[in-house]
Amino acid sequence: MAIFEQALVSGILIGGVYALIGIGLTIIFGVMRVINFAHGDLLMVGMYLTYYIFTILHIDPFLSIAITIPLMFLFGAFLQKFFINRVLNALPQNQILLTIGLGLIMSNTVMLAFTSDYKILTTKYSSSSVTILGISISSPLVISFAITVAISLALTWFLRETNTGQAIRATAQDREAATLMGINVKRMSIIAFGLGSALAGTAGALIAPTYYIFPQVGSIFTLKAFVITVLGGLGSVSGAMIGGVLIGVAESVGGAYLGSGWKEVITFVLFLLVLLLKPSGLRGKSQT
Amino acid sequence: MKRFAVLLIVISLFVPSFAHGATKVKIGFVNSITGPEAPIGENLSNGVTLAIEDLKKKGIDVELLKEDDTGKPETAMAAFEKLATSDKVSGIVGPYTSKCAAALAKLAEKYKVPLLIPVASKDDITRQGLKWTFRLSATTNDYAQILLDMATTLGKPKTMAIVNENTDFGTSGATSAKAYAAKKGITVVAEEAYAPGSPDYRSTLASIKSKNPDLVFMVSYVADAILLMRQSREIGLSPRAFLGAGAGFATVQFAKEKDISNDVFSSTQWTPDVSWPGAKEFNERYKTRFGKEPTYHATTAYESMMIMAETAAKAGGDTTRTRDALKRGKWNGIMGQVAFGDYEGYTNQNHHPMLVEQIQNGVHETVYPPQFAPKKPVYPFPGWGK
Repeated sequence: MAIFEQALVSGILIGGVYALIGIGLTIIFGVMRVINFAHGDLLMVGMYLTYYIFTILHIDPFLSIAITIPLMFLFGAFLQKFFINRVLNALPQNQILLTIGLGLIMSNTVMLAFTSDYKILTTKYSSSSVTILGISISSPLVISFAITVAISLALTWFLRETNTGQAIRATAQDREAATLMGINVKRMSIIAFGLGSALAGTAGALIAPTYYIFPQVGSIFTLKAFVITVLGGLGSVSGAMIGGVLIGVAESVGGAYLGSGWKEVITFVLFLLVLLLKPSGLRGKSQT
Repeated sequence: MKRFAVLLIVISLFVPSFAHGATKVKIGFVNSITGPEAPIGENLSNGVTLAIEDLKKKGIDVELLKEDDTGKPETAMAAFEKLATSDKVSGIVGPYTSKCAAALAKLAEKYKVPLLIPVASKDDITRQGLKWTFRLSATTNDYAQILLDMATTLGKPKTMAIVNENTDFGTSGATSAKAYAAKKGITVVAEEAYAPGSPDYRSTLASIKSKNPDLVFMVSYVADAILLMRQSREIGLSPRAFLGAGAGFATVQFAKEKDISNDVFSSTQWTPDVSWPGAKEFNERYKTRFGKEPTYHATTAYESMMIMAETAAKAGGDTTRTRDALKRGKWNGIMGQVAFGDYEGYTNQNHHPMLVEQIQNGVHETVYPPQFAPKKPVYPFPGWGK
């Protein structure tokens, strides 16, 4: 039996979604040096958007990301403009408190509005799979992986080639120098946070057909996103991609060979090893 | 005439409760009202709501103090301490989950307030010789036994895989299943305890599939039950039977996911078509009131509240007398015969008869034991039919 191959394939596929969550967090950190503890809650908002677009408007979850992405971008931009921009020069612990607070408000508002019931989004393909060479591959995961790759490529192109993208990267490299070069740093921050939340929301949308949805679901993913970005190097987009896939595979292969209770142990041992041997993360540049 | 009036006054002085019309009693109710266990917790709340109405009809006015444990033992403990010390309740019903119930059982002993656990089934809770903790529900041992009894009558399974979440309820369920499987001559070929909340159990299920077990025994709460079955279908895990130990597998939400839930067995403590007094009426009343089917969580909570409030009212609200009356009493209601006895190392444990249901066409049908079962079980599992 091809247990290893099976574990590897599902690990890579789920890792793609993890990567998307990580990229969002890393962009926000890179540009603002703010650790976004509301990241999982943004993902949760994305899940609920997808769920209601599906149940009320009957739009397929994978198509509705065309609606979810701009909505989440605007939501993120709003949060940045009215809340986070105010604490950019404050103490780091104050920034952390603010994002935790925003996260709590989001999850509790959702709980008030939609109750704490689990929502299960069932599409025709929710549990369908294709079998290739004895390995069964989940169809919804393949689609979401393909979308993840497409989004990552588009994002890389955007950050490298466009003026705005370059301005964002310049802001990430050196805020003051960027200001001196005439870059509107506040505007870049708004765009960056918008991008980050759009990515988190998309990850939520992609995971919705195969997972379950409840208001506190965010906390599971905030922790995961944090591990992924630190593993890959805070602020590094490619690092987050590698980190996401790595964690996905580690969990999956670990679950197959050591038992599912050991999954997290493997993830965190891996995490600690990277921190010990390369404290700036796999793709991180050492910064002072 | 004057004499008659005096007589009336004297009578009314001696029996003040007649003048007020009802006995008052203060009962605490700890439940998972919010948090990840809330969807099942809601069933318990609904059951208690109906019990309070019925108690009122019987002339018992319950002042119900509801506390939310959010599914966390530490919150449950704080709630218990508040109810015992500041509200001074006569008795407490709840909580839903095993991990909270295990924590509260010790507190009941400390504060000397009777605790009646409706549905939490971790085996150890009533095996510690505790005097103030009573349990209406069957234990995880019973959950495992009835399922394996059924499986061995239907066929000759030789191997079994156990998948459980690594919580108190899950671990206890897995331990019971393993012990009983050994007695029945079934070899356990895989044991997987998973941390709930992971989006991906595929690799675990694939390694189980490679061992090709005759039975897959699962202990999970609601959302993971659906997730595990979805991914079993994806992976093509197809044993002779899927056995679910109540909880997530007994919910209506699970049954509605026909693609993945059909022909899955679940052990349960109550079904609407069982022949216990008032069961059918309760089912109808619950459906018209709350717009959905009651689960065994609702009925155990209902019956627990009835027993606790009636006993406490008769004991005049005194905690020690309430405890003694619970210990002596016998009831017969929608949960069948109830008595809290000491046996096989248990104390104050009701010996509740279990049932097995199977999901057939999106509905739970009672299929075992035969004397209670209107439908026949589908065995072996017919496969995923892709």
